[in-house]
Amino acid sequence: MQHLANVSQLRAQAGEAAIEVEGLSHTYAGANGSVPALVDISLSVRKGRFVVIVGPSGCGKTSLLMMLAGLRQQTDGAILCHGQPMPKPDPERVGVIFQEASLFPWLTTLDNIEFPLSLRGTSREERRRRSQAMLSLVGLEGFGERYPHELSGGMKQRVSIARGLVQDPPVLLMDEPFAALDEQTRMTMGHELLRIWSTTRKTVVFITHSLTEAVYLADEVLVMSARPGRIIDHIEVELPRPRTYEMMATDVFGRLRDRIWQQIRKTA
Amino acid sequence: MARDKERMTRTQIIVIRLVLLALVLGAWEGLPRAGIINPLLLPPLSDVLVMLVDLIRRPMVQEAVAVTALEVIVAFIIAVPIGAAAGILIAENEYIGDICKPMLFYVFSIPKSIFLPMFILVFGIGFQQKVAYAAFTTAFVVLMSAAAAVESVRSDHIMVARSYGATKTQILFRVYVPSMLPILLEALRIAMIFNFTGVMIAEMYASRTGIGHLIANWGENFQMPQLFAGVIVLSAVAIVFNEAVRALEAKCSTWRT
Repeated sequence: MQHLANVSQLRAQAGEAAIEVEGLSHTYAGANGSVPALVDISLSVRKGRFVVIVGPSGCGKTSLLMMLAGLRQQTDGAILCHGQPMPKPDPERVGVIFQEASLFPWLTTLDNIEFPLSLRGTSREERRRRSQAMLSLVGLEGFGERYPHELSGGMKQRVSIARGLVQDPPVLLMDEPFAALDEQTRMTMGHELLRIWSTTRKTVVFITHSLTEAVYLADEVLVMSARPGRIIDHIEVELPRPRTYEMMATDVFGRLRDRIWQQIRKTA
Repeated sequence: MARDKERMTRTQIIVIRLVLLALVLGAWEGLPRAGIINPLLLPPLSDVLVMLVDLIRRPMVQEAVAVTALEVIVAFIIAVPIGAAAGILIAENEYIGDICKPMLFYVFSIPKSIFLPMFILVFGIGFQQKVAYAAFTTAFVVLMSAAAAVESVRSDHIMVARSYGATKTQILFRVYVPSMLPILLEALRIAMIFNFTGVMIAEMYASRTGIGHLIANWGENFQMPQLFAGVIVLSAVAIVFNEAVRALEAKCSTWRT
């Protein structure tokens, strides 16, 4: 009953917020009874913000993202996305980008991007038009007819981002999308993502365990503790946009990075 | 330069293949004629070919080929859907899988030919017995491959489809089927070999017609030219079936390199 009351309260103030999480906890059944994975998570992501959740491996940040996407259900607490709960995935509201690009190897680049549209019976011409637009947005003109095995790791992740954006959802959830890439590609992709974000103005929730990536990309950083995961710090990144590589050498950048590291180290 | 070299080795390979084939066929002709191999056991190739031309004109042989081919096709059509459905069920449903897997693996390890007498008791000697026995042996191969194919479906692909709101049916046809197709198609080719073997064994064991029956008969009566001509006919039919499945396989898996 108590969290029902919370929900209506949240709905009243949901105007500015893209995502509201209130008192979310999750436990799963382990071999020796139930294990707490997430404890009392509350957060609010305003529309159009780039929020990075950073935390040590196994802190439950991916689980949290899956819950935001409606792919997994929490044991307790409420999630609202654009004012509505997420009992199941809703591609109209949320696009998800996974750690592995997870493209379908039997589809070409364009067909992969169109996959979400093809599930809803969008006409062929409309699908082509939108996937072509996404393809140029992510900078892959001319690669539409290639198959995934013909693309590099970074290109695959670009296709995956295009697929996430093709239905034009207001919210983009990204689960360590660049973790499998080498460091140089990773830097380039981070920069590319900011460029794409600045043209689309989506609300982004981005998960990473890289401190540098977190500070470089984010408007706000949420720091999670080691398991069981809870939010232990909320940092506003007051670096100007557009971000540049040179900012990484500045004192502000270093201090923010250091603050996150100190927080994580305390709980490890 | 590199391409020239490639083309050279390619031509070389084909030439060497043809030379080897000519050597084997030449030996088949020459050795029995020279008396190095007893021509009663291995008749010279030319004698066999003369017999082959004679045989394929006989209505009895034509009918036997048609019967065998039909048995192979019908058994295959029965065995593949049953085996595939059972394999998918076992791999997808943990409960049924736990119950059935050990039993099926044990039965799979048994040579299926020992069940032939039972098939004869149930179906008599004829078309049905051949088809039932071949389908029985083939279904196991398909079942095992289908179960392996299900396990090859990547969970992240299912997750992606779910996150874009795919229904269960859409996940089945847009993720499971294309993921499993390459393995299933390869399995089909292997299944066809088992299927053909099943029909042959059943025909040679007890039968009134079919190539297997003719070959077994000629062997028993020491009619070696007929026997070898029969083997050539049978090989031709088997190769046709194998290539047919392979053509289908190539057509369906262009993305896979």
